[in-house]
Amino acid sequence: MTTATATVSGYLKQKAPFFSGHEWITLGIVLLAFAIPTLTANPQFLSQANLILIAATAALGVYIMLRLDLMSFAVPSFMAIGGYTVAVLSLRLGVTDVIVLGLAAFLVPALCAIPLGWLILRLKGVYFVLVTFVLTEIVQLLLFEAAPLTGGSNGLVGMPAVRFFGIELWDNSHVLLTTTGLAFAGFLITAIFTRRFRYEFAAIEKNDVLAESLGLACWKYKAMAFAVAAGVSGLAGFALVNMLMTAHPTSFAPMSSVNYITYTIVGGKGSILGTLVGAILLVSATDYFALRGELSPGLFGLLIIVVTLLARGGVIGTVTTLVRSWRGKGMRPLADGAARKAPKGGA
Amino acid sequence: MNAAAEIQGEALYAERMSKAFGGLKVFHDVSFTLPPGGLLGVIGPNGAGKTTMINIISGRLAPSSGQVRLGDTRIDGRPVYDNAGRGLVRSFQQTATFSGYTVSDNLRSALRFARRDLSVLERLAPLLDQFGLVENWNRHAEVLPYGLQKMLGLTMALATQPRILLLDEPAAGLEKSERSNIDAYIGFAQREFGCGVLLVEHDMELIRRLCPDVIVLDGGRLIATGSPGEVLNRKDVIDAYLGGGEEDDDAEH
Ligand SMILES: Nc1ncnc2c1ncn2[C@@H]1O[C@H](COP(=O)(O)OP(=O)(O)O)[C@@H](O)[C@H]1O
Ligand SMILES: [Mg+2]
Repeated sequence: MTTATATVSGYLKQKAPFFSGHEWITLGIVLLAFAIPTLTANPQFLSQANLILIAATAALGVYIMLRLDLMSFAVPSFMAIGGYTVAVLSLRLGVTDVIVLGLAAFLVPALCAIPLGWLILRLKGVYFVLVTFVLTEIVQLLLFEAAPLTGGSNGLVGMPAVRFFGIELWDNSHVLLTTTGLAFAGFLITAIFTRRFRYEFAAIEKNDVLAESLGLACWKYKAMAFAVAAGVSGLAGFALVNMLMTAHPTSFAPMSSVNYITYTIVGGKGSILGTLVGAILLVSATDYFALRGELSPGLFGLLIIVVTLLARGGVIGTVTTLVRSWRGKGMRPLADGAARKAPKGGA
Repeated sequence: MNAAAEIQGEALYAERMSKAFGGLKVFHDVSFTLPPGGLLGVIGPNGAGKTTMINIISGRLAPSSGQVRLGDTRIDGRPVYDNAGRGLVRSFQQTATFSGYTVSDNLRSALRFARRDLSVLERLAPLLDQFGLVENWNRHAEVLPYGLQKMLGLTMALATQPRILLLDEPAAGLEKSERSNIDAYIGFAQREFGCGVLLVEHDMELIRRLCPDVIVLDGGRLIATGSPGEVLNRKDVIDAYLGGGEEDDDAEH
């Protein structure tokens, strides 16, 4: 073996861990929410935690599509499909098992996303943005018009409490447990999915022409991502409907897509932790400043502009950069490769 | 997996291939054959349609008429990734890498997308070392000097263990001193992987050194075929190049 071959073999043995630190921290924080009901019974606090988890789970739909450099406004439509699926199943068919409902809330939007994706995933940039926004408007219209199924402007009200292995989950703290379970499922699926295919997604984001020329069928990964993003949004829709005990069109307003995009971008679109942190910060701020209705999309839009101009990486990206440069002042080389330069002239 | 064992692949046939963009006729009725494991040079002034030809053969563009075959299989108009899966892989005239990712991750991506084993990189190690990619293993692609980025892109194409490589001006933008890298690259591809190579190039020295045969594209037609020795001395070929304003891309004007 030549020196060069030995050096390359050495490099090939270095393996990146499946989850990075950010995935572990994110999943850990979401898991901690299971403990909230044992710590407090304050309904204000419980409802706040509920809203944060639902917002964060919904924003994962944005996070996943941004892996592919696609900005999706479609999150509320898939939330609606997930939420109404659950409402119809429980009210019309009497299904109350939370696991069955959770599976349906994931699978039905994911399946709807496949033909839709076939239509719109060939679009890029602003065209994709535009069409996903129109999609959300159309779904909103359908919710009002398809009254026999959706209850029209009355929505579907009076859902029975869901059950977990026969145990009824009905009071405030139970609702938070349900939401946390759904959020954890959403975060776990997203973390596994985005890490499993990280090379594929990164390549499509950076240079899809090059990726195809090396043999990657980009459309398959885009279609998969769109379906998984839809499924995760559906879980958020379930959690929202379960919290309100009502499925109503206004819960899935097209303008709310701006909020989900803001959480992900302000938190930092480079990491799953960004989506969670963005939702925590912005949902809390919305509540703190008592922002309501039409005001928040405007302010959120402003916030997106500020972040895009001043700190592309969002909160997490900026913090990570700061920590790196801090540590960089110490001894640690950026990558051990620099310390292991191949001896020259040996080959 | 074991590409070296099945060295003899199929020939690449371009048959009466034409391409027009709307009213702009780029080339007309171009035919040639690249035998398995062979090396065919393609020259022609800027705008002659060389890159367009690679786009058509790789599947990125459909020809206006005519066809491209790999052995008995018609491949024009097939998706690029499909053709890459068949072993037909192209490189790009400009640098093409995944920015924000290290040399290591770029190479690993190429292997993943081509469903090749990591051990291919051990076989490529002497080349990687010669190009200077080993010592830059953990640096991001976009911070490398132009020449290194170009060699990284070329090496990624080679790492897929193609049966046919379509190289679009691999030497363009390289320093004179770096051009021998291309000789090593093509030699390695042919020797180790049994690749057939279609070499689009402006560097006539390189063409003379490497190619037993060349074809010349000009004014939308294939004007000459033969060994570099005879073709490059033909008056119409010299005129085409002088008309195109350059004989070598290092020319001053
Ligand atoms: N996608 C396209 N649409 C329209 N015209 C194009 C396109 N691609 C290339 N052309 C034109 O086709 C001609 C050949 O271009 P190209 O294949 O890049 O030449 P070469 O690689 O030989 O320099 C040029 O006139 C170019 O402007
Ligand atoms: Mg060209």
